[in-house]
Amino acid sequence: MVLVGAVLVGGFAYLLKVLGNNSPILRATTVSVSGPLVHATLNIATYPDSMAGEHGKSGGPHPDWVSYGPTTNYWVPAHALVTVVIRNYDSATALNSPYFANVQGTTGGVATFNGTPLSHISPDSVAHTFTIHMFPTGGQPNLDVSVPLLGVADNAPNAPGSQYPAPTVVTFTFRTHGPGRYIWQCFDPCGGTGYYAGFGGPMSTLGYMAGSITVGTPHA
Amino acid sequence: MLRLDKYARTILGLWLVTTVIGVVLVLNTRTLLPGLLPVAASDVAKSEDFTLGLFTVLAVPVAMLVWVVAAHTIVTARSREFPTEAGPVVHGNTVVQAVWLAGSATLCVGLVVYGLALLPSIYTPVAGTQLVVDVTGQQWQWTYTYPGYGNITSTSLVLPVDQPVTFRVTSVDVTHSFWIPALGVKVDANDHEITQAFVKANVTGSFTVRCAELCGLYHAYMQSPAEIVTPAAFRQWVQQPHPKVAPAA
Repeated sequence: MVLVGAVLVGGFAYLLKVLGNNSPILRATTVSVSGPLVHATLNIATYPDSMAGEHGKSGGPHPDWVSYGPTTNYWVPAHALVTVVIRNYDSATALNSPYFANVQGTTGGVATFNGTPLSHISPDSVAHTFTIHMFPTGGQPNLDVSVPLLGVADNAPNAPGSQYPAPTVVTFTFRTHGPGRYIWQCFDPCGGTGYYAGFGGPMSTLGYMAGSITVGTPHA
Repeated sequence: MLRLDKYARTILGLWLVTTVIGVVLVLNTRTLLPGLLPVAASDVAKSEDFTLGLFTVLAVPVAMLVWVVAAHTIVTARSREFPTEAGPVVHGNTVVQAVWLAGSATLCVGLVVYGLALLPSIYTPVAGTQLVVDVTGQQWQWTYTYPGYGNITSTSLVLPVDQPVTFRVTSVDVTHSFWIPALGVKVDANDHEITQAFVKANVTGSFTVRCAELCGLYHAYMQSPAEIVTPAAFRQWVQQPHPKVAPAA
């Protein structure tokens, strides 16, 4: 009886691990330290498929699903300025809620879109969003950041030597406070046809359009 | 005079003792288990709190009778060895069955009537000038728009204390449920339909809005802060810069 119980518990734990988010963690790179303030950068990308990120060149079980890369779990330092550079290779899908076309929680309330600083873009031009939620438990500091990603043209040809068109580049900076663990997700209904409201498939599976962001102390 | 045999006296005694203990525990839940129940920050929440307490207190004697009989039977009537023959035949007692049925029916019908009588008070606007808040649920975040204040939009809910509020709740994708436990507000957010909820917060404080309808991957994280502030603090908040919904191209 004890053995059966142990097997059941072990099996359940294994199932949780398999179903959990096992994406590797990408750590932000520290570029400068000015007094107590650290400045770090995080370089990530969004793709119209899953063949350039953590799922490998074959794309894993769903090669046609949109994805973030190189991974979906990030680590950034606490009490730091974090500059995020996102190269987006995907075309636009109109937002369900135009609220997420606004840039939120960044330094200056803006992001640069291909070099142009803007506080919002057209909801119809959004390919994806990078939106950090506050983790609901614990008294950790607020970290509400949301930035829309400008889509590439629908008929844009692939760049020479690339499987994707030339990307749009979105850059923004936000400030972290104390340590905490947050989740982020895309708010664009990019899950593709066949899913209600565009939020199924890659939007409802960890490792594609959602993940975690850990704010930690250096050397943690 | 009704004469009870030893078994009945034992059951009755145990039932009385456990019922008294159970009722005392239920009535002191907030003291014994602080944090188990949300703060009741509105009249509706207080009313729901009372209803929950009343229903639980009324359920205690019923539960205790079942548990006492079951526990007593398990302890006294179990066979210490593998039984070699069937137990004695137990015949029903008409009086006991009739009392049990009538008591249960009275209790259940009474609670249904009580609930139906109370329900309209939840779905009726609180008297006074309404602050309208448009609540939009989407996988997996709430946004709040204040049409009376230039459609400012926020992912945090901020309300002035002692102000009647009308929530106009909708969803842009699947069904969600807009739930503020401390205010006693809970209403479905349906895809492109508007449902309404009404409340007036009585105390200031920081509370949490949750989604109460399983809605997908990050349902567990579909929460946002709800701040009940003084009217002066609310006026200050609405005057701060807020994002507005970006125009379509």
